[in-house]
Amino acid sequence: MSIFEYNGSALVAMVGKNCFAIASDRRLGVQLQTIATDFQRIFKIHDKLFLGLSGLGSDTQTLYQRLVFRHKLYQLREERDMKPETFASLVSAMLYEKRFGPYFCQPVIAGLGEDDKPFICTMDSIGAKELAKDFVVAGTASESLYGACESMFKPDMDHEELFETISQALISSVDRDCLSGWGGHVYVVTPTEVTERILKGRMD
Amino acid sequence: MSRRYDSRTTIFSPEGRLYQVEYAMEAIGNAGSAIGILSKDGVVLVGEKKVTSKLLQTSTSTEKMYKIDDHVACAVAGIMSDANILINTARVQAQRYTFSYQEPMPVEQLVQSLCDTKQGYTQFGGLRPFGVSFLFAGWDKNYGFQLYMSDPSGNYGGWKAAAVGANNQAAQSMLKQDYKDDISREEAVQLALKVLSKTMDSTSLTSEKLELAEIFLSSSGKVKYQVCTPDDLGKMLVKYGVTQPPAEA
Repeated sequence: MSIFEYNGSALVAMVGKNCFAIASDRRLGVQLQTIATDFQRIFKIHDKLFLGLSGLGSDTQTLYQRLVFRHKLYQLREERDMKPETFASLVSAMLYEKRFGPYFCQPVIAGLGEDDKPFICTMDSIGAKELAKDFVVAGTASESLYGACESMFKPDMDHEELFETISQALISSVDRDCLSGWGGHVYVVTPTEVTERILKGRMD
Repeated sequence: MSRRYDSRTTIFSPEGRLYQVEYAMEAIGNAGSAIGILSKDGVVLVGEKKVTSKLLQTSTSTEKMYKIDDHVACAVAGIMSDANILINTARVQAQRYTFSYQEPMPVEQLVQSLCDTKQGYTQFGGLRPFGVSFLFAGWDKNYGFQLYMSDPSGNYGGWKAAAVGANNQAAQSMLKQDYKDDISREEAVQLALKVLSKTMDSTSLTSEKLELAEIFLSSSGKVKYQVCTPDDLGKMLVKYGVTQPPAEA
């Protein structure tokens, strides 16, 4: 059993036309037992930057708290919000600091950068960044998610179609993974608003 | 004057005084003043800008007011470079607390922690004290709105209204006369502007020479720190009769 499969998770982020969507499952388990069905994996850093953390639950929470610390100080000193690309570099650097005793997390970063251009990226647990133009996935359901996204994704979707696509990709993938599921949590972010929706899937 | 006891910060004089600390306070007495007033629905901070020149590059950042965390801000009087170090220290301390306890740091604890840092420079290391006095304004769920004043010795106190910097004695006595316990935030702004205009050296008061910031609860119940824009400040100065309106062309 891998430490990355201890709690179970599924994360996906997709780029649309001047918008992005990031979605996660809601299960927190201890191996085969489900402990919580409302576990939060996606966190808002600022209005145009969201961070999803998959992997070991304890590490995701601690890593998130450390990032809030760093980001708040950045905001106070620079008097502006961090760009998504900069934030991704920060996460990558923080993960590599623990190269020989890492956080068992795989982050997914999604945000609107300069001129509200959507930015998504993921990285492994020691900070190797993977930038993508279309979608990124993470978690125990990642293999299913790769397949689902590859077939369902098309470029330049508007925010409503993006929501449908990402939701279908997430639900169909977590249904084939016993460690993730119990619904979905989807955020769709455009330059003007953030929509948060809960999905009802197979509750098992 | 026992000059031989001046040079070391960490030594008492025979009369039981710490000269370096007192000289630090002297330095602050020459700096731009700042006034803080506690009202029942917020805290008001007003500062006098000493550095005014047309050559100064205008930017959105403030000279006297600084945000420490979402729920705490401060006004500064004294040596700005010393203030920058302490403000950075305060910001990190606030974030460290939030990281450990996952809730905002109570205002008094933040002030106390910073004052402990300041006190260290009066007792060990042989380094000079910081030449800054602060007015901390904040809100927490235990004690609501609070105003604290701290000085180079590391002493601090909670105040209903306080003044630091140049002419702070005059400002303090004016505040004592006009302050009422149930003052509203708008009245506090008016009082602060009035007192500052009377104690400032310059003859005419314009919005370029002042900074105004308020801490209050927004309609959603979250603490908000807001710096007044120069335009709004100019309008307020005219409204409260502090400056004459611009002459008709």
